Amino acid sequence: MKEEAGEAGEISMLYVEDEADARQMVARMLTMNYPNLTIYNAENGLAALEIYRRHTPEIVLTDINMPVMDGIRMSREIKAINPEARIIAVTAHSDTSYLLSAIEIGVHHYVLKPLNYQELFSVLDKVLEQITLKRLVAEQHRRLAQSERQLAGAQRIAHLGSWQRDIESGTMNWSDELYRICGLEPGSIPASYQAFLERFHPEDRESVTRSMLNAMNPGHHPEHEFCRVLRPDASLRVVRLDVESVREPGSGQTLIGTCHDVTELKEAEVQVRSLTEDLERRVQQRTSLLQASVSELESFSYFVSHDLRAPVARLEGFCTALLEDCGVCGNSNCRQYAERARNVVQQIKQIMDAFNSLTHLARCTLMIQETDLSALARDIAEGLAGSRPERHVEFVIAEGVCVRGDRELLKKALEQLLNNAWRFTSKKERGEIEFGRFDQEGIPVYFVRDNGAGFNMKYAEKLFKPFQTIHTPGEFAWSGTGIGLALVHGIVLRHGGRIWAEGEVDRGATFYFTLEQNPESGSYLKEA
Amino acid sequence: MAHSYILLVEDNPDDAFLASRIIGKACRHEILMARDGEEAHDLLLLMERDHTFHQIKLVLLDLKLPKISGLELLEGIRSSEKLHGLRVAILTSSDNETDQKKCRELGVVDYIYKPMTVDRLKSVLSRSEAHE
Repeated sequence: MKEEAGEAGEISMLYVEDEADARQMVARMLTMNYPNLTIYNAENGLAALEIYRRHTPEIVLTDINMPVMDGIRMSREIKAINPEARIIAVTAHSDTSYLLSAIEIGVHHYVLKPLNYQELFSVLDKVLEQITLKRLVAEQHRRLAQSERQLAGAQRIAHLGSWQRDIESGTMNWSDELYRICGLEPGSIPASYQAFLERFHPEDRESVTRSMLNAMNPGHHPEHEFCRVLRPDASLRVVRLDVESVREPGSGQTLIGTCHDVTELKEAEVQVRSLTEDLERRVQQRTSLLQASVSELESFSYFVSHDLRAPVARLEGFCTALLEDCGVCGNSNCRQYAERARNVVQQIKQIMDAFNSLTHLARCTLMIQETDLSALARDIAEGLAGSRPERHVEFVIAEGVCVRGDRELLKKALEQLLNNAWRFTSKKERGEIEFGRFDQEGIPVYFVRDNGAGFNMKYAEKLFKPFQTIHTPGEFAWSGTGIGLALVHGIVLRHGGRIWAEGEVDRGATFYFTLEQNPESGSYLKEA
Repeated sequence: MAHSYILLVEDNPDDAFLASRIIGKACRHEILMARDGEEAHDLLLLMERDHTFHQIKLVLLDLKLPKISGLELLEGIRSSEKLHGLRVAILTSSDNETDQKKCRELGVVDYIYKPMTVDRLKSVLSRSEAHE
């Protein structure tokens, strides 16, 4: 007990004895045997009171018969100051009147004179034990109160109410936060299971009961239920109800559980779900719109490639008939007009072909695979260089430029860009054509650059529009229909990228494009 | 000498006129005209019965026809016991790859895009005759 006394904190004792020799002797003995005990000495009651007021020692060991102020009076004074003070009386008196007044004052311990140390220590031990115990209890109490405060605080912050239900006695215990979640002042209504059930929306009471029953089932896996709490002000809160069974030896079955107010979470969840659904609906809507326009395009293309081709072919047939049968006609205009009409037919056919290749891009099915753009560019460059060996053109082709995309379409796009570069450098003594890649804000940008004829930036917008040309026909042995770059544009678009160009007249042009990192395979056409 | 024919199956009068004109310039065969697949079918049945069908040197067949389509007629000819050997050339303005593939599978002499020219028809006929 002595050690625990030390642990419980400092304990001090006031020793009051008028005989100096005895006082010193006893004090020394006490110090030796109770090294942790702080001992104050006083020679009479009055001096002792002074010390007591200053130090409020827990224990007072006092002689009774003393000059100035005796032990009984002093004890009464001390008890008035602190009723908790433990007083041990040392007395030669064994008469009952002394004892009675000592008891009345609250002196519960006494040791008889002449002083027997064994007896003194035994009494002192008992008192020390009591003090230590009391301190321990007080400390436990303090800790308990603190942890309860923490728990209540945590429950309040987390909107988490807890409860306990004793099945046999039928009693229930609710935490303050549970009351608050139910819209009640803590403790304002008696906590019973019936009252608990009544907190919930009538439609959800069955779920609550089921949770309780499930928890009582020994083989049950903990599950939670979301139930609605109906507050007195008629507002609804959504709580997550968790129930578990606790069985302690010697006592009956107890259910413990929590009610977590997740109203805001649930609202957010509902909102997210509705947003997602909305988004999905919109995606579906857009997809069907897209599908509709692609199939419209499909039928329009069909119209162009079939229905329109027939009358154009007829027209061509009649032009030929005119040329063949009226070749001998005296009027030279006849022949000239027929020839020109036939040229017009050729133009119409070219435009129809161009239109079909353009719309094909929107309709066709993409076959996405690893595609080595460098290798494609090299092949195209070799083909171009071989076609006109007399030309001096330096190709610079970056190595290892690989993308995911439709190889055939990307090849077509590169062909178009490199062919353009080849053609528009034809008037340069030394042509330079470069294919490469760089990163712009983390996105790879591919480019084809040449030092050829270039273009005026004010026409940059026109470049990618079909049938729009910015070079005069014949200027660069050019006889296309003006859809080459429009095709490249379409291919880049199908790959989720964008395309743009920079140029300067007589200094060259650069065409840049990006591609979606992993474009979607397939087509926009609804599968039949 | 027995008559020899080119059977022209064509619904559009302008196309029929243009094709007839070319046939007239390219050869001496007479023209049998059918304005749809059904007419052509009936005519072929008749000639099958009369045993005159072998006088048809070439069938010039449009694909897009009312009632019975060109492709159906071609299939009918190929599955016929007697007529299956008839020489057929497709005359069309459509560039449908599927049609073209199917026709090749069904054994056509040529697949001619309109408008047909004298030279083209001559080459088809000379190829046909070389087979005889």
